[in-house]
Amino acid sequence: MTLLTAVAADGFFAAVAAMGFAVISNPPKKVLFTAGALAAVGHMVRFALLREDVGIASASLCAALLISLCSMPCARRWHIPAEMFVFPALLPMIPGMFAYKTILAIMQFLGAAAISLRQELLVDIVYNGLTAFFIMCALAIGAVLPLLAFHRESSLGRGIRKLWRRESGKG
Amino acid sequence: MAEVNDFLRLFCAALLGLGAQTARVDRNAARIAGAFGCAVDLAVFPKHLMLSVTSLDGRERRTSVGSIDAGVPDFRKVAGLNALGWSIVDECLSLEEARRRFHAILCGQSYHPACVRLMAACANAAFCRLFEGDATAMALVFAATLGAFYLRQLLVRWRVDGKIVFFCCAFSASMLAAPGVLFHWGSTPQTALATSVLFLIPGIPLINAMLDIMDGHVLMGFSRMVQTSILIVCIALGLALTMALLGVNAL
Repeated sequence: MTLLTAVAADGFFAAVAAMGFAVISNPPKKVLFTAGALAAVGHMVRFALLREDVGIASASLCAALLISLCSMPCARRWHIPAEMFVFPALLPMIPGMFAYKTILAIMQFLGAAAISLRQELLVDIVYNGLTAFFIMCALAIGAVLPLLAFHRESSLGRGIRKLWRRESGKG
Repeated sequence: MAEVNDFLRLFCAALLGLGAQTARVDRNAARIAGAFGCAVDLAVFPKHLMLSVTSLDGRERRTSVGSIDAGVPDFRKVAGLNALGWSIVDECLSLEEARRRFHAILCGQSYHPACVRLMAACANAAFCRLFEGDATAMALVFAATLGAFYLRQLLVRWRVDGKIVFFCCAFSASMLAAPGVLFHWGSTPQTALATSVLFLIPGIPLINAMLDIMDGHVLMGFSRMVQTSILIVCIALGLALTMALLGVNAL
């Protein structure tokens, strides 16, 4: 499978996952489909970065930043909070498996007798726990940073809108 | 003033129960109170909220406490209530009209349960593929999610406690995916077992918790984080029981 096909397949399955998990939270249809498209874009970027040996937390941060930035024009157009698009799009990147693997490793650690097994499990607990924590932090920072920077009341947001108006006035 | 206080209390409790960020609830409350010529101070706790509505000259003040009925996150209702907040300001709605629209939003439509079940099953199968699962593993996860999600809908309808629902669903989903491990179906039966429970992970409350902490609503953020962590422990327990029955040590 070529890189392009692998990236496209990753985007497609991420979109299906995002829309399917999002539907549990009853989003409006336009939010559902937009979130699917955003999830595909974000997950493809994360997939490509992971293949380039970028860390999973950094790759998730980049993906979340991109999703959040892309959600802003949609939010402005349909007068729906940007979080409504961002949250479902982030769902395929939630570190659920790392989180429950941490709990499983803790339970196995409590029942393990051999020291070597305990050491292995301790490494699993720390690795899975920290990975889950840092991915969650990366997703939250990535989701919230563009919303804060380009918020309607922020100086950056006001500056960009002023520039936009001036450009459209010239046109 | 008392009516504004009552409306705001119901509005904020509904938004919080439907899974809105605390900062958004705060902003909406201030916006609506401003439209009715008042100011509002809001204190949010995990299960209750307290709000104080003050007249702009500061002479009159009404304080009340309400309960938050936490339910499943609902984007449609959160978006509707947020839009209502703006409509009250932009269209100068009366309190009566705002109340009518508020109740209409809360009675709003939702997707058919069978459609939700089918989409969640497709999503979990796609998720299995993202974790390098093969076609057999995807089919197993699809069937397991379909069955376990039906059980979840039944248990929620019977008002069973959330933690028991998560444990039972994790156990049933992993047991339904277990034949792959038992009979060595496909090349990635372990992936099927590991991903079969992922549809239960409470992603939206987890993101909300992180954003609340970053917004400075640390109390609410930690409360939401602890609640979701308990649910993840329930999922892990359900999966651990299946693993113990199957004799699987690691995923």
